[in-house]
Amino acid sequence: MVFLNIPLLVRARGPDEFWRKRRIFKLAAHYRSRTRNVYSFAIRSVHRALAYATTGRKLKKLDMAQLWTTRVEAGCQQYGVALDTFKEGLARSDIQLNKKMLSDLAIWEPRSFEALVNISRERAAVEGLPDIKRRSAFNQVYGLSNLKLD
Amino acid sequence: MSLLAQSMRQVLRHTTQRATLNGAMRALSINQKLQQQNKPATIDVAAIAKEHQQECQTVCERINQQVAKSEQGRLFAVVHLCGKQFKVTPGDIILVEGYWPPTTGDEISLDKVLLAGARDFTLIGRPMLDAGLVMVKATIIEKTLTHTKTHFKKKRRKQYMRINFQRSPNTMIRINSIELTRPLDGMAEAEAEHSIRLF
Repeated sequence: MVFLNIPLLVRARGPDEFWRKRRIFKLAAHYRSRTRNVYSFAIRSVHRALAYATTGRKLKKLDMAQLWTTRVEAGCQQYGVALDTFKEGLARSDIQLNKKMLSDLAIWEPRSFEALVNISRERAAVEGLPDIKRRSAFNQVYGLSNLKLD
Repeated sequence: MSLLAQSMRQVLRHTTQRATLNGAMRALSINQKLQQQNKPATIDVAAIAKEHQQECQTVCERINQQVAKSEQGRLFAVVHLCGKQFKVTPGDIILVEGYWPPTTGDEISLDKVLLAGARDFTLIGRPMLDAGLVMVKATIIEKTLTHTKTHFKKKRRKQYMRINFQRSPNTMIRINSIELTRPLDGMAEAEAEHSIRLF
């Protein structure tokens, strides 16, 4: 093909019609009804599917994060600690496990998770977080609540 | 006050009290002895500190005994690698996504151990365990590319359509072994924090 000027270049539509359509039909091979066989329907649904797949890769990450949060929350509820308190307690104890790890531990290592909950609860009590009703022994002595434990 | 921190770091589960959930929680509770004191006015801080110290020591000793007799079973560890955290145990294969320099066949040790545990104890790092306390050895077994991901955008009736294809590198790592290198002592760890560490 020789493109002597711009309009000809624009008009040249790439590969042969058969191959162009075949590429779309291959992607639509497992669709049902006319979206599989009729090009005008097929290309519409293939484009939509590809766009969904692109956004879906991002949504998957968000979904997983949500799932981990739910799992950690459920794990905390077993021991009567709210999720926010648990996370705050861990952060103040300088324990930097992420949500994914906490949910994994809650499921597969329940005793380690229990230890984490206890640490977090103790720290929350010592620092006087509002959610913890029981005061720590350190708070019963005047002024000790202001002490930093490190 | 650092003693409380140390006892937090190492929590040994009392196997005898494990029968009930309540018992297990009481066994795990760090301020077990503090709760029993009903009169706040008479609390002696030094006594509390001493109790914590003793409790911490006994916990460490029990862990050491178990490790010495190699009854601890299979260890697991939570390692930080390439900005992600993985819970690993010997024999696992983990997948590192994206560019990562090591090549196939390299033997590496994963140093950022956030947490290590076995059946009866858990060591919790704040945020990491001491360097060299837990050795996690790993081998890089494969470097490949992901499947082709199609990045497709289209706006209807706006003559806008973009399509790109991308493949990113993937690295497979096998965890060879996780070992406790030295016996624990509750005292030494607080001072060891100041050692020169690049990360």
